[in-house]
Amino acid sequence: MKTILLPSKGAPLVSLRLLFSTGSAHDPAGREGLAALTGGLHVEGGAGGLSFREILDALYPMAAGIAVQVDREVTVIHGTVHRDHLDAYYDLIRRVVLEPRFDAADFERLREDQVNAITAGLRASDDEGLGKETLNALIHEGGPYGRPVDGTVRGLGAIVRDDVLRFRRERFTRDRAHVAIAGDVSDRFVARVESDLASLPRGGPDPVHVPASRKPEGIELTVVTKPCRAWAISIGHPVAVTRADDDFYPLFVAGSYFGEHRTFNGVLMNKMRSERGLNYGDYGYVENFVQDGGTTFPLPNTPRRAQSFSIWIRPVAPAHAHFAIRQAMRELRRLVEDGLTPEAFEETRAFLLSYSKLWAQTPSRRLGYALDGAFYGRKSLVEELADRLPRMDVAQVNAAIRRHLRADAAFVAVVADPEGAPEFLEKFVADAPSPIAYDTETKPEVLAEDRVIAVFPLRVSRSKARLVPAESMFEGDGPGGGT
Amino acid sequence: MRSTGDTLRTFPYDIAETVLGNGLRVVVVPTDAPGIAAHYVVVRTGSRNEVEPGLTGFAHFFEHMMFRGTPRYSPEAYNDVLKRLGADGNAFTTDDWTGYHVTAASGALDTVMDLESDRFMNLSYEVEAFQKEARAVLGEYNKNYSVPINALLEKLQDTAYVAHTYKHTTMGFLRDIETMPQQYDYSLKFFERWYRPDNAALVVTGDVEPQAVFELARRRWEAWRPGAASLATPVEPEQHGERVAHVPWSTPTLPLVALAFHAPAFDPEDIRGRALDVLAQAEFAPTGRTYNDLVLDKQWIDWMWAGVEDHRDPTLFLLVARVKESERIGPVREALEAALARAATERLTPDRLAAVASRLRYAFLGGLQTPDQVALAVANALQLTGGTAAIDASYRTLARVTAEDVAGTAAAIFRPENRTVVTLAP
Repeated sequence: MKTILLPSKGAPLVSLRLLFSTGSAHDPAGREGLAALTGGLHVEGGAGGLSFREILDALYPMAAGIAVQVDREVTVIHGTVHRDHLDAYYDLIRRVVLEPRFDAADFERLREDQVNAITAGLRASDDEGLGKETLNALIHEGGPYGRPVDGTVRGLGAIVRDDVLRFRRERFTRDRAHVAIAGDVSDRFVARVESDLASLPRGGPDPVHVPASRKPEGIELTVVTKPCRAWAISIGHPVAVTRADDDFYPLFVAGSYFGEHRTFNGVLMNKMRSERGLNYGDYGYVENFVQDGGTTFPLPNTPRRAQSFSIWIRPVAPAHAHFAIRQAMRELRRLVEDGLTPEAFEETRAFLLSYSKLWAQTPSRRLGYALDGAFYGRKSLVEELADRLPRMDVAQVNAAIRRHLRADAAFVAVVADPEGAPEFLEKFVADAPSPIAYDTETKPEVLAEDRVIAVFPLRVSRSKARLVPAESMFEGDGPGGGT
Repeated sequence: MRSTGDTLRTFPYDIAETVLGNGLRVVVVPTDAPGIAAHYVVVRTGSRNEVEPGLTGFAHFFEHMMFRGTPRYSPEAYNDVLKRLGADGNAFTTDDWTGYHVTAASGALDTVMDLESDRFMNLSYEVEAFQKEARAVLGEYNKNYSVPINALLEKLQDTAYVAHTYKHTTMGFLRDIETMPQQYDYSLKFFERWYRPDNAALVVTGDVEPQAVFELARRRWEAWRPGAASLATPVEPEQHGERVAHVPWSTPTLPLVALAFHAPAFDPEDIRGRALDVLAQAEFAPTGRTYNDLVLDKQWIDWMWAGVEDHRDPTLFLLVARVKESERIGPVREALEAALARAATERLTPDRLAAVASRLRYAFLGGLQTPDQVALAVANALQLTGGTAAIDASYRTLARVTAEDVAGTAAAIFRPENRTVVTLAP
């Protein structure tokens, strides 16, 4: 058990994060979704003599909640409360962690919610999420990361309440627990939290084996079909580095330059959205990225032992999908071949040095970043960047790009309307030209570049291209099943 | 923060204000955020002001155009400055207002003000940039479209209103978004009309000193010329009969049921608005009776939301639930209607009333952790009322809400002839 403290004298709020090194990567074969269900049932299944409803009643006037976030590698139970209520609040968290009840009615409710999150959510009403999960499934096919955290329809259907009890007993152990507390709390309070968690059984840690991801053979296209008026696209390939590696940090600079999330800094955003109006946004990442709620900042506590590079193209008009993929791949090739100029490097470095400090504005987020640092055996990402960026140079960035990014091979996931998908796939594998026509005024230099993009060659793997109906994704016996 | 017993003030920070010669109100709120400041420009124009036919969604589109440059700062130069500062900047539009926000190191405040004031005074863009941005807006509509709740709310507003501009969402009708590239000249008029200091306010929060910020603001913003237009928004007539609509959905999503009732505009002194806040919490939020019944016990629905979003003009009390099985749409609707009818006849207990008031107050305080969050809370009061007193005033009103107020308001609002029902299902 490790403890991280961020004391803050006089702060009105106290934040707690109790992290367990267990996540959906540890789902037993045939029980995909068990970690997420177990995590959810900790906070919504009653605990220590109280039903879930009674816990809600107790939390209600505090305006506090006990939340759980389950990801591939970790489960974190967290909350923030006014210090006026700390004792009563902690008493509830303690019960949730030490004495969860997993009440049968809540088990049924949450299991059904999780199935619906796949069938009615991801597959039916979240085209961009579906594109990203499809890309993830392609990159990590057959491995423990290769399915949504919510699992598969079949896996969830097979889970019984005893599975949850066993998973909890075996995996929510003192040896996998990390405590993180921020705020104005006493030493006695910290000691109490530590001794409470020390009463959990021993066991672990036994990090899951994540096999090396298969490298794509050229451009491998998967088109997931469902009714939609615009097409969401995700492109990516595995990378060999994580925050644990020195080479990750120069690559991180390259990712920001290429496609910083939801800013106009990135090459993709400027070329695809600003110059052409193709869609709402275009971004690039060198590790798994989840946006934290309404902010534009990365969500903490989603660490992975194996990472990937990805491009997120927000929905485009169907007629522009082929062009958009070509343009993104062409920009990627320029990045790999030309790298960053010294000026672009300086600008991106200056940006990241200041911007990254905004990621840790709340105590709870600071705790999350500190826990992630511990996962990778490093300081927090914000601190690592503060240490490393000042002594980094452009040559290191460009060398990291050449070592880790590829422009000639990638998995491409497109969520497309079943009407237009077959013709799109046929043209795509034939590497047919994809000229673009606009109904808006366009600069001559943009039109000239478009003619080059329209015939930019993609080394498409004909044998790997496929159409998959959305309703077969993440069923458990087909694509995205990942055992 | 102040103690919970202090009912005169809820907002935990001191507010300093001044009004520049051109009418721009400047509000500064120092908070404990070492080295960080948030800068918000509030424009009191949103989709509510889109009174001309064929131009719905324009306030939001115009928000995008505000990033398309000036003679001094091209879009690239503007972004380069923010990038060097490592700033987090963006904007959003609602029914009633448009917010432009930047969070950066507090030492960079003058640079941020220089950039921001320049574009509010000297915005300038070509037809090409205008048309490309119009298509980025269409892309935004497209990305939102796959989410059922957005389609439901679009239909709900269109059905519940017949005259007022709340009839359309902030995104606007698709047919109007598609023709946006042709509205270049109108966009110039839009800027002239609404982007004026007497229709705006400036909020700066975080690690800042009020007098120094006022001095910067005078230097950077005083030259902005006043002259905001005033265009009347149509008055929504009273509804005299239930309205019903349905949205068919082409994929196997969970059905949605929404009930909406015309309700008062935001007024911090109006007990009815706060009574509806209390009712929404007491009955439909977690721990509420209907939540317990439908989510936890019967498990007919997996999610619900109820409440009134504060608006400048008369708005809607909205109750929406996601139903797990299609055959339950009818029973869920009946259960929700029964809960609303009950609210008019039964009385909340004093304990429940106190718990709800505590909840609302602590939730508000807990949401003021960063300079950005504090600035947003202040900006929202400014956009609604033109001043900042509304924050504390509305919590004082909340503290006065009685069980009779809740029941009386429910009886006045939840009448069948004032109801709009919209469903969405595969």
